Amino acid sequence: MKKSFLLFLFGIAFSLISFAQQTIVKGSVLDGTTGEPIPDVTITIEETGQTLKTDARGEFSFTQNVPLGEQVLKIEKVGYVTKRYPIIVNEGQTVDISGMTLDFDTSDKKDLYIISISDDNLNSEDDGITDNISGLLQASRDVFLSAAAFDFSATFFRPRGLDNANGKVLINGVEMNKQFNGRPQWGNWGGLNDVQRNQEFSMGMSANDYNFGDLAGTNNIMMRASKYRRGGRISYASANRSYQGRVMASYSSGLLEGGWSYSVLGSRRFGEEGFRDGTLYDANSFFVAVEKQINDKHSLNFTGIYAQNRRGRSTAITEEVFRLKGREYNPFWGIQNGEQRNSRIREIEEPILMLNHYWDISPKIKLNTNVAYQFGEIANTRIDNGGTRLVTINGEDAYLGGARNPDPTYYQNLPSFFLQDANPTAYDYQQAFLAEQDFINDGQWDWNALYEGNATLRAQGGNSLYALQADVVKDQQWTFNSILDAELADNIRLNAAVNYRTLKSENFARVEDLLGGTGYLDVDFFAEEDDNSTISDEVAANLAQSDVRNPNRIAGEGDRYKYNYEMNADVVSAFAQAQFKYNKIDFYLGANMSQTTYQRNGLYENGFFQGGGNDGSFGESDQLDFSNFGVKGGFTYKVTGKHLIDVNASYFTKAPPIRTSFSNARQSNAKVIGLESEKIQSVDASYIFRSPIVKARVTGFYTGFQDGSDIGFYFTEDLAGLGIDSGDAFVQEILTNIERRHVGVEVGIEAQVTPTIKLKGAASVGQYTFQNNPNLYLTSVDFLNRSDIEPEVTFGDGTTQLDGYHVAGGPERAFQIGFEYRDPDFWNIGITSNFFSNAYIDVSNLARSANFTSDFDGNTFNDYDPDEARELLKQEQFDDYMLINIIGGKSWKINDYFVGFFATINNVLDEDYITGGFEQSRLANFRRVQEDQSRDNGPVFGPRYFFGNGTTYYLNVYVRF
Amino acid sequence: MSEQYKLQKMKTLKINKLILLLIGLVVFNGCVEDDDFDTPNTSIVEPNISETAKVQISSLAGELAQEQGNGALDYTDEETTFSYAFNENDLFMEGYVVSSDEGGNFFEEIIIQDNFENPTIGIKLLIDVNPLFVRYEPGRKIYVKLNGLSVGITNGVLTLGALNGNEVDKIPSAVEGDVIFRSADIQTLVPMPVDFADFTDDKTNLFLQLQDVQFNRNIVGDNALTYASEPSDEFDGERTLESCAASASVIFSTSTFADFKGLTLPSGRGSMNVILTKDFFGEVFNVVINTPEDINLDSTDRCDPDFLECTDPSGGGSAIFEEDFEGFGTYASEGWDNINISGTDTDWFISSFSGNFYSRISAFSSGNSEADVWLVTPAINMDGTTGEELSFDVQANFDNGTNLSVWVSTDYAGDPTTATWSILDATIPVGPASTFGNFETVGPINISCVDGDMVVGFFYEGSDPSATTRYHVDNVVVTGN
Repeated sequence: MKKSFLLFLFGIAFSLISFAQQTIVKGSVLDGTTGEPIPDVTITIEETGQTLKTDARGEFSFTQNVPLGEQVLKIEKVGYVTKRYPIIVNEGQTVDISGMTLDFDTSDKKDLYIISISDDNLNSEDDGITDNISGLLQASRDVFLSAAAFDFSATFFRPRGLDNANGKVLINGVEMNKQFNGRPQWGNWGGLNDVQRNQEFSMGMSANDYNFGDLAGTNNIMMRASKYRRGGRISYASANRSYQGRVMASYSSGLLEGGWSYSVLGSRRFGEEGFRDGTLYDANSFFVAVEKQINDKHSLNFTGIYAQNRRGRSTAITEEVFRLKGREYNPFWGIQNGEQRNSRIREIEEPILMLNHYWDISPKIKLNTNVAYQFGEIANTRIDNGGTRLVTINGEDAYLGGARNPDPTYYQNLPSFFLQDANPTAYDYQQAFLAEQDFINDGQWDWNALYEGNATLRAQGGNSLYALQADVVKDQQWTFNSILDAELADNIRLNAAVNYRTLKSENFARVEDLLGGTGYLDVDFFAEEDDNSTISDEVAANLAQSDVRNPNRIAGEGDRYKYNYEMNADVVSAFAQAQFKYNKIDFYLGANMSQTTYQRNGLYENGFFQGGGNDGSFGESDQLDFSNFGVKGGFTYKVTGKHLIDVNASYFTKAPPIRTSFSNARQSNAKVIGLESEKIQSVDASYIFRSPIVKARVTGFYTGFQDGSDIGFYFTEDLAGLGIDSGDAFVQEILTNIERRHVGVEVGIEAQVTPTIKLKGAASVGQYTFQNNPNLYLTSVDFLNRSDIEPEVTFGDGTTQLDGYHVAGGPERAFQIGFEYRDPDFWNIGITSNFFSNAYIDVSNLARSANFTSDFDGNTFNDYDPDEARELLKQEQFDDYMLINIIGGKSWKINDYFVGFFATINNVLDEDYITGGFEQSRLANFRRVQEDQSRDNGPVFGPRYFFGNGTTYYLNVYVRF
Repeated sequence: MSEQYKLQKMKTLKINKLILLLIGLVVFNGCVEDDDFDTPNTSIVEPNISETAKVQISSLAGELAQEQGNGALDYTDEETTFSYAFNENDLFMEGYVVSSDEGGNFFEEIIIQDNFENPTIGIKLLIDVNPLFVRYEPGRKIYVKLNGLSVGITNGVLTLGALNGNEVDKIPSAVEGDVIFRSADIQTLVPMPVDFADFTDDKTNLFLQLQDVQFNRNIVGDNALTYASEPSDEFDGERTLESCAASASVIFSTSTFADFKGLTLPSGRGSMNVILTKDFFGEVFNVVINTPEDINLDSTDRCDPDFLECTDPSGGGSAIFEEDFEGFGTYASEGWDNINISGTDTDWFISSFSGNFYSRISAFSSGNSEADVWLVTPAINMDGTTGEELSFDVQANFDNGTNLSVWVSTDYAGDPTTATWSILDATIPVGPASTFGNFETVGPINISCVDGDMVVGFFYEGSDPSATTRYHVDNVVVTGN
């Protein structure tokens, strides 16, 4: 405060001795600790909202339409503590405030969000429930969004109910969202915190310099060597959420002689387990960027990222399991040779290499051209329990073997299974008790039993019964784009971009570990010819084959098996946007066009889907083409410098991701029937208030989605209405024509009540609901080759009655109040109290279809009671909960070094809470659901829940130089 | 300038050292378990069981027999059980595993016999564990700790398990490791040869060899059945296995959950290794295999009867004899004979369903262990016609094996035991085990080589409870030109 007052005086002094006729506000910004100029600092005259960025020498100059009188200059850059300088502007004079300083933000909040994201990615099953959007928001300075990023992210809260796939993440202007599911794969650049401080975030569909954007906003992470301030940092973090330790070292050269600059980082994150048992963490990240400023106009940058990580996963558990084992419980691990071993490991290794060319065609026109190549694989392991031995009798094959699911939480291992009858006998109670004790005392994976089993079979010359299978996605993606930024006039800016992405994605299962065996017979143990089969014996004999062209193959470790196909995806897009700035109003208009094609290429000919084409599995599928476009526009109306109205509106269509484009990609070429591009309309309107003390925003938003699609995979027992033997089938569930509506209000308010104390509040109240009854159909190999049913099964009118249900995904309401104290003596502490409510379970779609009411003969159950059905199908709302988080830190300057620490404690009160969950579709008809829900000793197939973490901490110590 | 540059360079060097140090830390930090796990030691440690604690299967049978109040075991007494007390006095039953659930034909049970060769008694151990073959493979010697377990008769065989009310049920999976102990001793099982006629209760739960056998002619060949994946198979597929050495048959039973249920029954003749057990009701002997590899029916020289083989062309004629049993009087009044040659009371009779009349027979619940019954048509003169064919409809219900055959005779004089009969190559349909089947037409069968006055005989060979299939016969037609 004292410093800024001095500057204020300086400003006046300089202005007095100025002889210029023009009214000019100019100055420069330096790093408060190193004294070096900082480029790319955003300078805003608050009254008019005019903004500029500092150049390479840290300088800026406002020459047009400079407002007179008392003004406030806001100086901000990601990674630094924002400052506001009061100045007085007199007509015809120059205000020169050179030497303003920005202090490096030592609070390191970003480490927090990285942890949250890691947790979520850890659990993500591509189910859309567990992914978290908060990473996208970390660069935002908006009060509400930073609350969402830092304090709401521990739960599944999503601003405006939006999914990760609704936000774009760019690195150096290159889109990083995966084409498979549209979501950014955060693990690909995890552990690089020190070099990801330069981020540009644009909220929602507002104007963005790089691309058309998406509903949740666009975050461009600048990882360009010349943009890093000179210096290094070494830090060590300790935590108990996902990793236990992290070491990180980075150094950036700043601009060197000869126009070179470079930046390097190495980090390692590790841990035997996080908050949840057995979730190991093993990640190494390396980063290098080198840039050469060729001349005034051209600069060439190379950025390479290698972020490898291996993590043990955990999963959602039922109420019963939670009751017996607690929220830390994770069924996926077991002891092997005295060490924890997790059966579900996710390993990500997808390096990114990019070349970025920056061309300042003129001082007002800039062209950035990028080439990026990403390659590598994501592998998820699981235990395969379907190993068999081939027996050939008179030319006919049989496959002997297979084992029950060895998962410790398998329903037949739990007490509820033994007590499912209305009047359990003493024997039932005995079994339940023994099962309960066994589960409480052990309840983990029995690796020894798997090895023992394989060893027994090996001794008899048999194959592995159990194996560790990895589901592998091996991608190679090239991206080319050019981004133009042209100032057509002082108040008109044109942004345009062209992009081309081409992806070749190989998808296959791989034998990771034969668990002591010698080979795995690559056939589908569950394949069998149905009684109502319409196929020839020769075709039937091959049903079990993963690859008819290479039948009864024994797969060894490292071999591909089960399924093997390529997915090719190409996207061409073009984007243009014009931004206009006037005294009272700023506005923008933007448009986008794209062409997307997907094609599957089967490398195996699956026994169930012999031949090629859409009905087969071998060779190329039909090509899927999507033409998409979007328009958007918005304005900011400056009532006064303190009061602003901001409105954004957009309409666009979006190609479905690869994930929902093929109904059963592992086994067949079949495309989803009725697949359309999603149509989205969105509008939001904000009132923004800012005074030197208070900053506030209130936004109302509405987004409508039509023609959405989704796909799910599960085992169900309740398809008896189809005449399928006992109603059991492993199915693919395809939803199309999904309409959703997201409406709500979000509020953020911040008051700097004293120079050291800041109070803040944030709230979001929304309603995210389905607006129609989407189309639902099931496919399954159990439906094939039958005379009595079609391969695509629908129920009743072909829809599922979701109208009015809430879209699952975190609390619809979130509230925060908090305060921050920032002592001039370089320490700070903050506390927030966060309240969440109105979170809903992800409902079973099958149970909301006509299948729910259908008896085995297709007619309605004779005891069907609509009132009771309504009760059974009511969407579960999770309990409200409150999380209190404390954050604090301190730093010291010792000679040329800065030493500091930063710590947080989350969920201080150790609140038990459910963050999300889903109903199982295993039971999906009235009688069975009613029976299961009314069992005295709890349901056998109850919903599965994600439980939030208890009290956790994070501590980071660092040295900066 | 150069001074400053030097300073900067020095600083950079220092920093580089720090970074090197950190990268070193990163590389050598091995505190996370990597994915190279050593294979755990899976070798079997011989359990330390004193000789005095070892108990033979025969001893369990003896305890149960005593509990039943008999000198010998009563295999029909499914009420009585004997339980071993929980006390310090540990007892271990020893035996060799003979069953395997690898193929899914056994489920949550282990069949154990007292020796790997020349066994004298076997027992079925029920346990709620699946799969079992990964630890208790055939030939493996195991010990079962008896404390707290119960022995009794279930489904007609000696069974060991946990007491559930008054019957022996599965041992809970959680205590598997406290109950079953594996010995390192593993032997090649030697199946004990046995004739069908020697099937006795005390041979159940044993690994036996059946020599010179074949599947019934009606279920192999052109319309061969699978082991157990016919639409009519529920729970088990029951197939008639015949002995060539003696005129005897047994039910060969396969679970509909077996991995090999879809294989076609082999048509040849030879031997097979089986486990003798009983059907679900504990009444009828069944034989069950572990894997189809236990079957060795390699000889194509089947031991089927010599069928009447007419080679002249046949067909295209009109009916010279026809009986649909509509408006039928009595067998006697219509010139038919209905004769039980066993002297028991099972007989053919006229029955109807939905207005359709037919001849019906079944030995079910008759209590007649012998129920061989002939139904003989009136004489049909074959001299005036050529190219004759016989056809008829059969509905097989509650099928537990094919026990109907069709014969012709030209010297029949009222006593089927003295007439000369020629068996016809008639494929009798196989019906569902637990419900009604559908009428299926059998034939037409070429009988053009028969001349003179011919009768057709439907011969039912019943035995309650093992051969009780209920047949309905209708629309017997002989055509000729």
